[in-house]
Amino acid sequence: MQTFISIGVAQMGISANPAIMRTILGSCIGICIYDRIKKIGGMAHILLPNEIKKGTPEKYADTAIPLLVDRMLKKGCNREFMSAKIAGGATMFRFQSNLMLGQIGERNIIETKRVLEKAGIPLVAEDIGGNTGRVIDFFLEDGRLKIKAAGQERMLYKV
Amino acid sequence: MHTHIKQRIESIITNLDQLPSIPDVASTILNMINDPDVSFKRVAEEISKDQAITTNILKLCNSAFFSKGKEISSIDRAIVTLGLKEIKDIVIIAVTKAILNKEIIGYDLAKGDLWIHGIAVAVLSKKISLMKNRKDISDIVFTGSIIHDVGKTVLALYVQRTFKDIIEMVESEGIPFQEAEREIMGFDHQEIGEKILMKWNFPDILKAMVRFHHEPDMAPDEFKPAVSIVHIANIICLMAGIGIGSDGLYHELNSAALTTLNFSDQELEALYSEIPDTMNQVKEIT
Repeated sequence: MQTFISIGVAQMGISANPAIMRTILGSCIGICIYDRIKKIGGMAHILLPNEIKKGTPEKYADTAIPLLVDRMLKKGCNREFMSAKIAGGATMFRFQSNLMLGQIGERNIIETKRVLEKAGIPLVAEDIGGNTGRVIDFFLEDGRLKIKAAGQERMLYKV
Repeated sequence: MHTHIKQRIESIITNLDQLPSIPDVASTILNMINDPDVSFKRVAEEISKDQAITTNILKLCNSAFFSKGKEISSIDRAIVTLGLKEIKDIVIIAVTKAILNKEIIGYDLAKGDLWIHGIAVAVLSKKISLMKNRKDISDIVFTGSIIHDVGKTVLALYVQRTFKDIIEMVESEGIPFQEAEREIMGFDHQEIGEKILMKWNFPDILKAMVRFHHEPDMAPDEFKPAVSIVHIANIICLMAGIGIGSDGLYHELNSAALTTLNFSDQELEALYSEIPDTMNQVKEIT
């Protein structure tokens, strides 16, 4: 029996094969990091790009990603075998361009990529942008990521 | 346009039996609240007629979200301690859960998603009304938010059958999802929701919130502030992925709603960034 772990908004989790981690995304980003040797995976669901209020590092890309990597290393993961996949960052349809809120998806994507690079975790696959919501399932068996969006499913296998 | 589907939906909304029902106590309470002469005792009697609802209501009265600290063990006590408006919110939660807390095919919402979405929008709407000094409508926007998407429960089956055409039209013509619902099926989930509320005998302000939550500028002037609050709360929840389904973010943030409430960019982003706190409150109710 596989354990099913649900990650809420501004939460993160780390688990090992054979668990499946799930989150549901709008403009937020789901960051899924996998150690292919240990078969340990970590998922963070970030809401905004940059920390504006101390105390909730899980909420922001620039604080959540280093924290997630750090926690995975403490669980015995090796940076050398870790890679990341990201999903989400959708934008509200027909948004007025002058509204900051309309650009959150885009800002989240840019910052997530920047921080992953800074953390030295290669980004191997992504499913980002557009106007669709996404339900993502992260399978720790082999690190694959299933994405359900606008009634369609696709799979990202690369680790 | 799928004519046969439009006819099917027409027959459902004209034959009221096929629309979801809730216990009469809900509309009785809603209408009593607006009656200045109503006695606490009569409201308590009305609620106590239904044992299952009474049990549920007492549970909610003692939840962290509504509780005022003291254990409440009777409806009489609940009304005195919490007040009629809070009791009305609690009654609505208790009677609508059975209808909203289920899987909604077509919109791709798992069991619980639409229910939690409604409560999240409700908590956020209440927060917005207090922030915008509209305490006078804070309870009614809470109520309306819980049920704003009730039309989806009826339309789901037909959205499932026509989803490909709806999403194609959204993409090719650049129109919001509910507009494509109307084009393809003849009705959108807001219109069906309004019909359901007519069957339930709910007041006009609630019908307006359900009917215009994606198009607040179309609402009657007197209801525009309330409808705009539900609209903005809904958009923020969807952006955070709370109750987002196959219709995704194919919705529009209505600029008239922002003007009506005098909303700034910073205020919007602050509400979005506080979603985790809002969700903690939602957990206390659901």
